[in-house]
Amino acid sequence: MREIVTVQVGSYANFIGSHFWNFQDELLGLADNPESDDIFNNHNLDMNVLYRSGETHQGIPTYTPRLVSVDFQGLLGSVSSRGTLYNEAPASPGCVSTWTGGVTTHSSEPLKKNLFLESLHLEDEAVGNTSSDSWKNGSRSEIQDKDIVECLENGVQYWTDFSKVHYHPQSLYELSGLWMDIEDFNNYGFGRDVFSGGLRGEEINERLRFFIEECDHAQGIQFVVDDTGGFSGVAGEFLENIADEYANIPVLLYRVSPDTSIDPKSRKQTISRNLHDVVSFSRLSALCKLVVPVGLPSLSRSRTSSFLRVEDEKPYHTSAVYASAIHSISLPFRMEQLGPSAQSSYTCGAMSVNDLVQILAGQSRQNIISILDVSMPAPSFTGYPAQQSLLENLQPLTPDVAEDAEDFQAVESMTVHGVYRAGRQRASITEVKDAVQAAYDNAVTRPKFSHLSVARCPLPVPLPFPSIFGNLIGQHGELLDTPISGPASRGSLEVHSIPMAARLRSSNAILPFLENRLGNLRKFGIARGALGTELLRNWGFGKDELEDIGETLSKMFTTLNPYSEESSDSD
Amino acid sequence: MSLRVLNPNAEVLNKSAALHMNINAAKGLQDVLKTNLGPKGTIKMLVGGAGDIKLTKDGNTLLKEMQIQNPTAIMIARTAVAQDDASGDGTTSTVLFIGELMKQSERYIDEGMHPRVLVDGFEIAKRATLQFLEKFKTPVVMGEEPDKEILKMVARTTLRTKLYEALADQLTDIVANAVLCIRKPEEPIDLFMVEIMHMRHKFDVDTRLVEGLVLDHGSRHPDMKRRAENCYILTCNVSLEYEKSEINAGFFYTNAEQREAMVAAERRSVDERVQKIIDLKNKVCTSNDNNFVVINQKGIDPPSLDFLAREGIIALRRAKRRNMERLVLACGGEAVNSVDDLNPDCLGWAGLVYEHVLGEEKYTFVENVKNPHSCTILIKGPNDHTIAQIKDAVRDGLRAVKNTIEDEAVVLGAGAFEVAARQYLVNEVKKSVQGRAQLGVEAFADALLVVPKTLAENSGLDTQDVIIALTGEHDKGNVVGLSQHTGEPIDPQMEGIFDNYSVKRQIINSGPVIASQLLLVDEVIRAGRNMRKPN
Ligand SMILES: Nc1ncnc2c1ncn2[C@@H]1O[C@H](COP(=O)(O)OP(=O)(O)O)[C@@H](O)[C@H]1O
Ligand SMILES: [Mg+2]
Repeated sequence: MREIVTVQVGSYANFIGSHFWNFQDELLGLADNPESDDIFNNHNLDMNVLYRSGETHQGIPTYTPRLVSVDFQGLLGSVSSRGTLYNEAPASPGCVSTWTGGVTTHSSEPLKKNLFLESLHLEDEAVGNTSSDSWKNGSRSEIQDKDIVECLENGVQYWTDFSKVHYHPQSLYELSGLWMDIEDFNNYGFGRDVFSGGLRGEEINERLRFFIEECDHAQGIQFVVDDTGGFSGVAGEFLENIADEYANIPVLLYRVSPDTSIDPKSRKQTISRNLHDVVSFSRLSALCKLVVPVGLPSLSRSRTSSFLRVEDEKPYHTSAVYASAIHSISLPFRMEQLGPSAQSSYTCGAMSVNDLVQILAGQSRQNIISILDVSMPAPSFTGYPAQQSLLENLQPLTPDVAEDAEDFQAVESMTVHGVYRAGRQRASITEVKDAVQAAYDNAVTRPKFSHLSVARCPLPVPLPFPSIFGNLIGQHGELLDTPISGPASRGSLEVHSIPMAARLRSSNAILPFLENRLGNLRKFGIARGALGTELLRNWGFGKDELEDIGETLSKMFTTLNPYSEESSDSD
Repeated sequence: MSLRVLNPNAEVLNKSAALHMNINAAKGLQDVLKTNLGPKGTIKMLVGGAGDIKLTKDGNTLLKEMQIQNPTAIMIARTAVAQDDASGDGTTSTVLFIGELMKQSERYIDEGMHPRVLVDGFEIAKRATLQFLEKFKTPVVMGEEPDKEILKMVARTTLRTKLYEALADQLTDIVANAVLCIRKPEEPIDLFMVEIMHMRHKFDVDTRLVEGLVLDHGSRHPDMKRRAENCYILTCNVSLEYEKSEINAGFFYTNAEQREAMVAAERRSVDERVQKIIDLKNKVCTSNDNNFVVINQKGIDPPSLDFLAREGIIALRRAKRRNMERLVLACGGEAVNSVDDLNPDCLGWAGLVYEHVLGEEKYTFVENVKNPHSCTILIKGPNDHTIAQIKDAVRDGLRAVKNTIEDEAVVLGAGAFEVAARQYLVNEVKKSVQGRAQLGVEAFADALLVVPKTLAENSGLDTQDVIIALTGEHDKGNVVGLSQHTGEPIDPQMEGIFDNYSVKRQIINSGPVIASQLLLVDEVIRAGRNMRKPN
């Protein structure tokens, strides 16, 4: 078994995680359901990589994500941090067994479960408390699916509002005792103090150890961090412990940022944001094997969203897109590792997290920053050989990426799953391989090395998925020639699955990303009389440390820069 | 639970408004915590929005669960939490004392007195009180064998403020013995060497001291013994797990054989490490009466587990880092980082090692050790909040015992110290002070009484009567505190009610510092800006 433990730190990371686990839960449910399509019954993905089997004290078996999630206290909404699976003795008020003196009760306003969570609750009661059943044909007779979809569209506040997954009691950790609003928890220094304050760091480390200890052979840690504020500091300290304690387990880091606006006129905010961005990027990337910056300033207007209708101001929407891409990237980690000659008709291109790291960052340039591209939905291979459209449709979810970079040293790893050959015919594994090969043969620039993983199983669209599909997307994610009539945004009731392609690439297209950050660091942090020096000192970064950061970044920059001296000896 | 004493968004207020805002915030926080104090305080049940319950009698825990938004209240709360971090107790008293200093000051300020004058008086009173504390404290001689009775009395005093009497008394011996177990002459006491472990158990509420260690995991092989006697213990931090080395990713091989060869080579080097452990086992376990247990901080993969299991070795992986230290202190031997220099001297010893399973949770007990310097307090409780309550109390108890040993002194409790110090300030110090700073000394002296007053109030007694009775006795030269049952003066020494010297000293020190800052305020700080703890 090659287990992966997932870590989510910060609110937006948890939004993404919530969608991610919904996909997994959906796959589990579909595989169990005899009425599902064959591609779901036989997805040939080993879910034990991401999930653990356990049992409650009553001996009821459980199946829950190998997950540690860290968030602000109070951001779990109407869901309890211990989940519902393991609650043997529901604590009844009034039974205080440790104190015979007076008791005073202080109750917060109870948070009402939304329609979706209400329906899950009813279903759990009906089924008699089992884990991940396919809820689609559940017994939620009174509550209509369309009302649920509408309620989520209009009212998601917490990531738990749309989560259908049962979590283990060790999974959800809340940061308490900070006495500050989440808006004020906005820089690296705060986060670092929070982690080391009290017993928090120790408790979080213990949560992780719980999940790692039971792994026979952990292949990696998939770490998602909300990088807009104090959570980067929390993640930085956490990663440092991981690097210490689990040196041999590679960390694949997704550094995600929601599209939060700052007042562009406030110079102070701009400086603070920019400096935070650069210091946290360099701190975090030093503590992982591969870092993937994710999060566009305006996802809805990006080319990624050609077929989507995303509302940028809804984290519920944007996080769904990022989660989909991360799901695709994670598929090869759970594919069956076959011998060189064996072939499966459901998947190909299995690899471990370490393999991925070696492909992207292990070779000559040792560049650890990867660009995430996605094609959602991936177009069908109409005609044979394929058109260019697959490659053209892969668009970055990483910010500040050069559009037409030419890089003969680029390396990449692509996952394609659930795509169509033509019309509504799913392409076979071999067809996909051939089509991708053909696409590269016809491309103007080709990467030096490219790894391909293929699965037949598309992205399942769970009921709580947001309505972000445009009206050119059909029920099974196929692209239509003419728009479907009806509402412009289509959701989980109209679209049930999506063919996907996603790619991680190590390329000099990331140069603008590095250049911007390096520029900001110099301008606001290092230059004589820079406006942010004082701020950085408050966060705990002295002059020497800043210069180190600057040096590391410029080293990353020069190794990738085709015009710099060091790399001019390209073959 | 949230506390908004005043609108936290008010950016800058004028000086007088700011001052009153500070006073109100301090009083507000005091009101929330007041009922917590002492053995007759009330426990607070906090019900969250999702219906989850937190229970606490502890000021420190309560503050951390509150969503405090008022910046002044946050400042006070930080001081109180820092108090707990530093000395392990006295959070509630700190909040009450600061609140009362502000309340006493308010009277004078409303009469037109400048805060500066009060602050000067505070400073004088603080120094005098600290000197008084030196005279007042009860020295405790800590020779080779500390006086266990006094340690138990201090532990009992603090435990009884957190748990009902019978439960508290059950823990008294446990915490005292735990600290004595880990104490080494001439070295600071490291309470981390007492592991606090809990088990959720439907019917059982029970706490016991395990001389040895309880680990929260078990072996991961079906054939390994669940119980073994006379065990050699190998504590190590060595990877027994196959790892693909950096260059070893599958794609860079030209053929399958090459890949296989690399894999085999890597596997071989893991097996060699396992073999070295087995060799050591065979060397020391010459008869069947002995067993061998490996407790590793790193991973052990299934082939290695198989290998070890075949040799009758019990192996645990991914032990907590801290347990490496604790194991060595409990069982002897040393923690090894490499199998290259393994020898019998590295090994520790335990008379009994066994596994206990509860649902999916496994516990490994390493017991019957010789001469342990590390131990485990094992708490069983029916639900999380009961366990959390007991855990908090145990931590307080351990700190109280440690403080006593390190302070080599204790202070008479039940309000005795506060009344005595107040009389000293009013009768002796005040006279020696020039001018209006006298009033600052008086305010400080009266503020000290908040402790006995609140203890009386929480016992449902008339505070005035109690204070009059207590000061009367003190004026006669009898050092008394109040009885929590009747409010009558009692001798805390006789009753065995003792507080920690270092806790009291810190309260006296930090209270006036924060109060002075709040009184001399120029403008109001905004919420959340100042994250660092005040020193
Ligand atoms: N049996 C008792 N009778 C009267 N007062 C007591 C007794 N036990 C403890 N106290 C007093 O209770 C106070 C401590 O209460 P506690 O709730 O622990 O608050 P804190 O958080 O300030 O330590 C001390 O002033 C102590 O002297
Ligand atoms: Mg106390």
